[in-house]
Amino acid sequence: MIKFLAIVKREYVQRVKARMFIVMTVLGPVMLVVFTIVPGLLFSLKTGGDTRLAIVDQTAGGALFEPIRNSILQRQVYDDKNLGERIESQVNSNTTRRIENASQAFSAGFSIERVDPTGKSIDSVKQGLNARIGRDELDGYLLIPPDILTNNDSKPAYYGRNGGDMVTTGQIQRRLDNAIRRQRLLASGVKESEIETLSKQVNLQTFPINEKGEEGAQDSGLARFMVVFMIAFLIYLTVLLYGQVVLGAVVEEKETRIAEILFSSVHSFKLMFGKLIGVSLVALTQLAIWGVVFMAISVWGIAALSSRGVQGITVPSLPPMFFLYFTLFFLLGYFLYSTIYLLIGSMVTTTQEGGQMAMPVVFLLMAGLYMAFTVIRSPNSHFAFWVSMIPFFSPITMIVRIVSQTPPMWQILLSLGIGALTVVLLLWLASRIYRIGMLMYGKKATIPEVMRWVRQQ
Amino acid sequence: MDNNNISVKVDRVSKTFGEFTAVRELSLSVRAGRIFGLLGPNGAGKTTSIRMIVNITAPDTGTIEVFGQKIDSQLQDRIGYLPEERGLYKRMKVGDQLKFFGELKNVSGKDAEGRIDHWLSRLKIPEWKNKKAMELSKGMQQKVQFIAAILHEPDLLILDEPFSGLDPVNVELLEKVVLELKLSGKTIIFSTHQMEVAERICDDICLINRSQKVFEGSLREIKSSFGRNSVALRFEGGNGVLADTSLVSKVDRHSDETEVLLAPNASAQVLLRRLVDSGATIEKFEMIEPSLNDIFIAKVTENS
Repeated sequence: MIKFLAIVKREYVQRVKARMFIVMTVLGPVMLVVFTIVPGLLFSLKTGGDTRLAIVDQTAGGALFEPIRNSILQRQVYDDKNLGERIESQVNSNTTRRIENASQAFSAGFSIERVDPTGKSIDSVKQGLNARIGRDELDGYLLIPPDILTNNDSKPAYYGRNGGDMVTTGQIQRRLDNAIRRQRLLASGVKESEIETLSKQVNLQTFPINEKGEEGAQDSGLARFMVVFMIAFLIYLTVLLYGQVVLGAVVEEKETRIAEILFSSVHSFKLMFGKLIGVSLVALTQLAIWGVVFMAISVWGIAALSSRGVQGITVPSLPPMFFLYFTLFFLLGYFLYSTIYLLIGSMVTTTQEGGQMAMPVVFLLMAGLYMAFTVIRSPNSHFAFWVSMIPFFSPITMIVRIVSQTPPMWQILLSLGIGALTVVLLLWLASRIYRIGMLMYGKKATIPEVMRWVRQQ
Repeated sequence: MDNNNISVKVDRVSKTFGEFTAVRELSLSVRAGRIFGLLGPNGAGKTTSIRMIVNITAPDTGTIEVFGQKIDSQLQDRIGYLPEERGLYKRMKVGDQLKFFGELKNVSGKDAEGRIDHWLSRLKIPEWKNKKAMELSKGMQQKVQFIAAILHEPDLLILDEPFSGLDPVNVELLEKVVLELKLSGKTIIFSTHQMEVAERICDDICLINRSQKVFEGSLREIKSSFGRNSVALRFEGGNGVLADTSLVSKVDRHSDETEVLLAPNASAQVLLRRLVDSGATIEKFEMIEPSLNDIFIAKVTENS
């Protein structure tokens, strides 16, 4: 036991004391923020001033110009008492809405001019406008057909140089759609005041029912989905961050030629196990630090929002059992993937070589994630059952099943058991290959050789 | 030799790696409290034999007993091993490192602390305790590795080329420590191809060549079995006498002395008479034992 603890302690203390660990612990969350927020900001950032837009309204009397212009310019300004509602809608909106909302803050908006087509042929109007766009006097124009209010298949058209600016064309599309639908309703006799109330969105409420037939609280399933992606993301992140560290820990003694001294004192299985635990504790320490910081910021953030009158931000509520499963399957996933790195480390002589061999591990992880999509739609299918039993996919797919439609306990236990057994098996395999490979005077192993070592006594 | 006095008993052990036979039918006995030299040219199978004794690899056939028991992981704690392929954790402090190696041999950190200080000052490197290994010269690292091998006070110490790359001052220092350990009752297996070192400190030797044992016995026995058929000479003149191959089979001219190996059936008296007759001035004429180096070369060439 002294030996095992000594190995764990050395791996842990050496790494936690290292400057790299401290730097990463501080920089990790900063980088995460940078990588998730900055691309969104860059995408929504529009430089170069207003979009200059011309509207060619071919309807009788050009009656649609005013409503369309108002809609595109978003004349109705939010007043401050609605702030809470707006923030809530932003917190809960989907990604496209969010980018759109963010872009409102950054895009410089539109400047709109009227082009009256009366008395001219539409082709000559277009030619004139095209020429102006060519001279960069205009960014684009909207062509409103004369029958837009009466013919439901009539399509307006946008001509512009900035066709690739999806944010701008998206805004135009949505606002034009709003304006024209409104005008059509008005034209068919709906009262102005009723339009708002009648076209309100219908929201579907979902209620889960468990295996005992009990009805649960209203729940959009979003929280469940979040849990699945949290665990997938956490496994992915830790494997990405720590896989290389595990690999390095195994290769270290080969590079420093310490392996032989170790083997004369301790069995290679104990050595491998000790290394795995030591590095894992480092990973958990780092995750725990990040977790505490994240929680602190979340609590602070929600408190800050509540104090400004924002209601309805609910932390996804889950039964306590989920946290146990979450922890168990996260650990299982982490250990499963770490032992693959351990195995790779046992075969190679340098870290660089190992890095190349480790590439497919990420694909395996991605495959598990993609299967989660299928499983979440039919969590009790045969497919779902089998993939939740396969070790490298089970940490993600089984969690998907547990949160969507909890399978019988024996299946959960079986999945955990198979996973744990695989970890031990891989550990054993790695220690074997490591021991025999090391004695081969540091020469690079081929796959057939490795197979032979495994069988060798 | 009764069995209580045997620390290591290797019995008809063979080990092959694929096509290659590293050790073939090797048997040897290491007597307790003595220094046993395991000698042989590069690639003879010394390291493989040692790895089997310390339980790093298992023999294909044959048995190995250490302290009268079949070798297992428990016994490993009673063995200290300084491999030829050795290193240190570069970024770890010398003191922490030694403590770690001690713990790997079941020595608690507290016990290790005092021994580390003792040995670091004994080997004249106490100021390096809190330095990282990467700051040490190769020779100093070697001393640290040596301490790592003896920190747990093993009853059997196995040293594989322990002095290679050390300067003469440090070789002498470590030699002294090795001899002290022997006097305190430890058994030492000493593997080397440096014959002068082996000749200085080994009590018993075993020569292996091409995976097989060539001979085994005490240094004394081996030397006397070869007989006194060498002569150390210092003389002037007498040219041509040493060229007679019926008289002399090998001539080694050192800076101030000549060492000759007599041809089979030739006598030293005849050589002396011939030299005197040829008018040489003889300053020194001494019958000597062959050096271990000569025996080694003779045996290895005879064997191949």
